[in-house]
Order: sequence, then structure tokens, then C-alpha cells
Amino acid sequence: MPFEQFWTWLEMTPLAARIGESAWFPFLESVHVLSAMFVVGTVLMADLRLLGWSARRYPLNVITDEIVPWTWGAFVIAVVTGVGLLMPRASWYVVNPAFLAKVVLLMLAGVNMLVLHFFALRTERVRLQMTTGACSLLVWAGVVLAGRWIGHLS
Amino acid sequence: MHDAAVYLLSNVPGLPPIVQTVHLLGIAVIMSSVVLLDLRILGLALPSQDVQELTRRVMPWVWWTLPIMALSGLPFVFARPQRYFTNPVFGLKFALLLPAIALAAVLHFVSVRKPDAASTKVIAAISLLLWICVVLAGRWIAYVDYLIPVE
Repeated sequence: MPFEQFWTWLEMTPLAARIGESAWFPFLESVHVLSAMFVVGTVLMADLRLLGWSARRYPLNVITDEIVPWTWGAFVIAVVTGVGLLMPRASWYVVNPAFLAKVVLLMLAGVNMLVLHFFALRTERVRLQMTTGACSLLVWAGVVLAGRWIGHLS
Repeated sequence: MHDAAVYLLSNVPGLPPIVQTVHLLGIAVIMSSVVLLDLRILGLALPSQDVQELTRRVMPWVWWTLPIMALSGLPFVFARPQRYFTNPVFGLKFALLLPAIALAAVLHFVSVRKPDAASTKVIAAISLLLWICVVLAGRWIAYVDYLIPVE
């Protein structure tokens, strides 16, 4: 695993020890679950509009403009709490197949969002919008599954 | 039921995380339905979406999702009832969940009729707080030892 020394160093930091040995860990985990499910929920709302299954009375950009700031806000909280959860056992997480799958799926979600932002939303490309909406639903469900699976691997 | 749940959860590869993921995705639906409606009623989110229209659009999701939440949660309770029924955090989660569901029903009714009333906003604020606490309490079921040290 690359940066092996970095992950070990991260585990040895006082903050990592503090989180791992206290109620900070479950606290961060519960906030992580809450914020991550808020991310997925808001993404779901945008995806349903992209697919044209819901909220069709509103223009697409109204739905995305109003929901995306909430998605990003919750995403930042999920990342900060996620890093906190990773720190106490960093070198264990970075070789955990479910964790790696989650990272790859998050990157795919990012690519999907870039396609949506730079191509699908620019024009009246309804079919591309529907495709990104469908991909988003599948990828985010995968992120949740992979994330939940991390703890089941020893 | 106990034997079936134990057998399935320990013998079907990957079943526990898959069932838990269904439960988690249910939380995501709760967030994008009743929680976002709460935020809309409080004037914090989705300003250009009409409260009445939003209510009619999202609230059916709540009523479809709750049975799925129950179905995806029950196997774990059946498999290890002693882990849950003696767990005060599990009790707390349901003590918060029942009023949250009741308020969702009230909200479904009043937000269509009185979307701007102060009483509707109060209900939305309590509803928002309850759902957040239900999710947090749900995750803390596994960490009850942190709250009540084992003797």
C-alpha cells in the first residue's frame, strides 16, 4: 500500500488516539451516517427530476440549484467525520476492499456529476440527463453498500 | 422467526450488509421527504417549491418507506432479541420514532391546509429534530457501552 508510513503516522497522532479511545468514535460515526444519508437523499431528489419521474412542473435547474448547496454542505460534514473515523485505524481502512470500493464509487459519482454539470445540463440533452440520473442512483446506492460493508470485513 | 433470522443472516453471504443498506437507503428517503419538507416549511430550503405541492409529492414516500424500514430492521431484532430489548438506546430510538411518525401524519394533513401557520412551523421544527435524533440513536444502539459502562 502506498504511503504506508503516512497511514501509520496518522494512526499515531494524538487526535487519532483521542478518537479511537473515546465516545468520539461513535459520535462521529452517527453524524457520518446522518450527513451521508442526507447527501444520498438530496441526490435522490435531483436524480428523480433528471429522470423526469418527479417534480416535472419545475425546470431542472430550479431543482438542482436549490438542492445542490444542501448536498455539498452535508457532503463536507460526511467527509470531515469520515476522516475522523479513518484516523484511528487508517492503515486497516486503506487495505480494506470495501473501503477501496467505496473510494472508487465516490470517484465515479464525481465523474458522473462532472458529466452532468458540463454536458448534460448545458443543453436540452434529455437522454443524457436521464442517463446521469440513473447512473447517480446506482453509484450512490453502491457507495452506501460498500460503506456499510467496511465494518463487516475483519 | 428467531431461528430463520439467525440462519439467513449467518449463512447467506453478504446478507447483513445488504439488508442494512436497504435500511440506510430508507433513511436517505426519509431525509429527502419529511426532513426536506420540514426545512421547506421552516423557510430554510427549496424556496421556489410550493409547500402544498411538495407535501403531496414527498409524503407518500414516507408511508412507503416506513414498512421497508421495519422489514429491513426486524431480521436483526429477531436474530438477537436480547441485544435490542435490553438496550436502553433501542428503547430511546423508538420513543423518538413513534412521535416522529405521528408528527409526520399530522404534518401531511396540516401542511396542505395551513402551510404558513405558526403551528405548522412548530410541528416542522419538532419533526426535524426528532428525525435527526432517531437516526443518531439508531447508530448508537451498537455503542450503548459507551453511555452505560459495563460492570
